[in-house]
Amino acid sequence: MTAPKRANRKEIKDKDFELIRAINSGQYDRFPDLVKRYEQKLYNFNLRMCRDAADAEDIVQETFLNVFKYLKDFRYETKFKNWLYRVAASTCIKKRRKSKFAPQRELSLDEFYPQSEAEVSDQVPDWAQMPLDKVLSNELLDKINEAIVTLPEKYRLVIVLRDIEGFSTAETAQILNLSDANVKVRLHRARLFLRDKLKGYFEND
Amino acid sequence: MIKDDHDHKHCLELFEKLSEYLDNELDEVTCQDIEKHIKECVPCFVCLQTLKRTIELCKQTENRSVPEDFSRKLKEVIQNMPNPHLSAK
Repeated sequence: MTAPKRANRKEIKDKDFELIRAINSGQYDRFPDLVKRYEQKLYNFNLRMCRDAADAEDIVQETFLNVFKYLKDFRYETKFKNWLYRVAASTCIKKRRKSKFAPQRELSLDEFYPQSEAEVSDQVPDWAQMPLDKVLSNELLDKINEAIVTLPEKYRLVIVLRDIEGFSTAETAQILNLSDANVKVRLHRARLFLRDKLKGYFEND
Repeated sequence: MIKDDHDHKHCLELFEKLSEYLDNELDEVTCQDIEKHIKECVPCFVCLQTLKRTIELCKQTENRSVPEDFSRKLKEVIQNMPNPHLSAK
């Protein structure tokens, strides 16, 4: 006897489902609760995707309007946060295409690989071996944020979702509609890009 | 890497996998291969450590508060937006 297909589906536990079900059952006055829950996360996600706070605000607003419009289609088959970031990433990409952001370019592994003996380090630099709290400073965090916004968008989206927002490879792949392999390739290149910026920052310090 | 007398091609192959190694996304055999390699290859070890620190630093970037003006404006927009679910009925 064949088991019903649905029996194999893993049940998703999500703190947001109760609120989403309430909104979708007609309690639209609870939508602002959802906005309150995620406005800061989406604001920061978009700040990292744009250089400009006003652009970030526009995209957050548009994202929530899209969420309200399409919330009925949410199927409770994934965490709501993952679905929300899918809407957010797609809204951001569409908006940025119409705007004046950093041009797209490919990052190749070759550009991060030492090309000459002079570039090869034979000892771990201080910034990579000192305790983290001794390295951290507001200036450094500003530099990292500046470096993130100079990454080409397709790499930036991946590193922001993986290393800042904390999504797994599989979740990031689902949010961006990419394969896991593609997420891994982009993430590695984005990290190498940032590593080079950090090296430059510490060497010129 | 370049300075060492071992196989440079092997360094390149492992260089591609360092993020997956740090994310615990590689199989055991490949992990062991990387661990053995970085014990012998200082430049690859340096590369791994600097990459690891880059990820740690990236995770430390802080979230800013939402500007109050924007939060208020967003609330107003949400309250006044047309409700497609109601108008469809």
